[in-house]
Amino acid sequence: MHTPLILFLIATVVPVFFGKIQSSPLWLCLQALALGWNTITLHGEPSLHSLGAGLEIIAVRAWLVPLLLRRSLARHTQAHLDLMPSNLFAWGVAIALIILAFKFGDGSRSDGRALMLGVIAATVMIALLILSTNDAPPAQLVALLFMENALALFESLMPEPWPLPTHAVLSALYFLTFAVGNWLVGSHAPPALADPEQMKEIP
Amino acid sequence: MSTVSTPQVSGLSDTPRRPGEAAAAWEWVAPALVGIALLAWLLSMGIFVLTPLAELPRYFVHRYFVLDATSLLFVVLINTVFLGISVYLFSRQRTSAVLAQDMLPRSVLSLVFMLVLNLGVMSNNLLMLWAFIEASTLCAAPLVARGDASAPRRVAWRYMLYSSMSLAITFLGFMCLTQSAYVRGVAISFDLDLLGLALSSTPDSWQRLGLALMLFGLGSKIGLAPLYGWLPETYEAAPTSTSALLAAAQFNISVVAIFRVLQVFHGHDAGFASQELLLMGYLSLIVAAIQVMATRNYKRLIAYACVSSSGVIAIGLSVGKAAAYGVVLYVVSNAFVKALLFLTAGRLRAVYGTNEVAPLSGVIRVLPFSGFLFAIGIFALLGFPPFASFLAEMLILSGIVQAGNLMAFTLMCSMLTIIFVATGRSVFPMLWGPSNRNGPPVMESILTTLPKLGFVGILVMLGAYTPGSVSQLLLSVAESIGGR
Repeated sequence: MHTPLILFLIATVVPVFFGKIQSSPLWLCLQALALGWNTITLHGEPSLHSLGAGLEIIAVRAWLVPLLLRRSLARHTQAHLDLMPSNLFAWGVAIALIILAFKFGDGSRSDGRALMLGVIAATVMIALLILSTNDAPPAQLVALLFMENALALFESLMPEPWPLPTHAVLSALYFLTFAVGNWLVGSHAPPALADPEQMKEIP
Repeated sequence: MSTVSTPQVSGLSDTPRRPGEAAAAWEWVAPALVGIALLAWLLSMGIFVLTPLAELPRYFVHRYFVLDATSLLFVVLINTVFLGISVYLFSRQRTSAVLAQDMLPRSVLSLVFMLVLNLGVMSNNLLMLWAFIEASTLCAAPLVARGDASAPRRVAWRYMLYSSMSLAITFLGFMCLTQSAYVRGVAISFDLDLLGLALSSTPDSWQRLGLALMLFGLGSKIGLAPLYGWLPETYEAAPTSTSALLAAAQFNISVVAIFRVLQVFHGHDAGFASQELLLMGYLSLIVAAIQVMATRNYKRLIAYACVSSSGVIAIGLSVGKAAAYGVVLYVVSNAFVKALLFLTAGRLRAVYGTNEVAPLSGVIRVLPFSGFLFAIGIFALLGFPPFASFLAEMLILSGIVQAGNLMAFTLMCSMLTIIFVATGRSVFPMLWGPSNRNGPPVMESILTTLPKLGFVGILVMLGAYTPGSVSQLLLSVAESIGGR
């Protein structure tokens, strides 16, 4: 139960410190694989229900969306930027938030649950940190997708697994978040051209 | 004195349409939209008329959905508002070539948006309701992006970001409740009728944190301070029909979510919820009062009025008891006032080509119907009799006095007075000032004014005489959120 969670955490934390926006599809894919693994193995032996839910997560979150995001980022001028600006202050805040997130999970009685709470809270915090430190729309879109993955991991905290229609709805929301976000973000002009005064000079 | 050509072209939605021009293939879309909206409205009214309140709640689709007083009221409300907006779109499509060409995607998105809202309002599970609110945001973002602001997609993106952040905070609240139940060794279900069983009457810090985060996140979705920044920008940049949809329909699904939280937490930590709502209400009223004084843009002015309305709702909810009926009436009247104002603002925008107050003067002479309706909308917004908002504000203030919260009473009265004066200073010269246009008044079709007249009629009816069945429904909802 711990391995997929640790993998998920690594896929969340590493890109924040060392990743570029263009590499984020890979990290999103890794997060989703860990999420799928966790879903399949969460309630003991894999059942038809858990296999269905896990495969659906892998199909939408680990394959479809990262693939489309990679294609979209290939055309985007801001894709070469860092996912989170590389400076000591942002790094310090990120580390503090991750520690706080795991403190948040300390109130639980078992280690596994504390880890799970910590991972979810850390991912949401990291997503909020990216949103507050990076004004590049593609990075903000990636942060939103991080947040959606964290919310999907929330199922692990529930006593019963969610029904398959609930999984399908969450995956549909994930895909729609990507699709709508990508449509809105993809059309943004780079900052140098965004000034209306400068735009007037473009024929 | 400069003249205003009619209609003046300055944006997407207002290119005049010449006879036989464009989009003949899509002529059927607007009537179809009105037809579907009418059908949905008739259905919701049919359910309202035929279902005795005593037989509620009724569960359906494996208890995923519920029809109770709250869902019934809001289903009727949002479908009534949507019918008016669709008739407005139909009338505008006949005079705007760009809107005619854009009608199909806009109609489809609006219908999906309304379907999601209807399902969300009837949802019997907080997680599902959360998912429907997110889905409604995803439908609304492309609608916002169809506006004619300088960078509409950027505004739509920011709207989506704010919404996602608010909903993420709400979700963290769910997580804390789950953790609270786990620590106490209690099974938790987010079904509305079962969630209360997992709550403790002596709340731990997880439960309190969960409640605080849920109210904060959902409060941000209705534009409560401090996370209100998305609202004025979005309402200004979106097409007016979309602004009306957001302010009068989507606003209400978030209100339903707050009502649901309060219903579930009724008797559990009500004092804590009250304090948080009171604080957010105070902040929102102060922010709205300052911004209304500063703004010189009539769409933005309506948007800040939405922030102030959210503040009044939050303060009323925090008081509960005697103010609860006033809050429910205020929410209902608020939907019609906002729809009326935004749709009328759309007409002003179409003729003058600007959202700024300065270039508009003597509107009532140039556009007698729209000017008159805008004036009525402003009076209803400011809480004048005989409109429902007057009665609702009086009931809320009376509830606050009965609760002995004189600080809330003083602050609410002061801020509403400031908003009244600041709104009047901006809007009254715009309406009754010397006209800056030579020539006869602009003729307006009856179809354009019909939905607005309907909204005015409802506002007057709710303020002067509320039919027994409607009053009973409002009372049931008020009781469910702690009213008496």
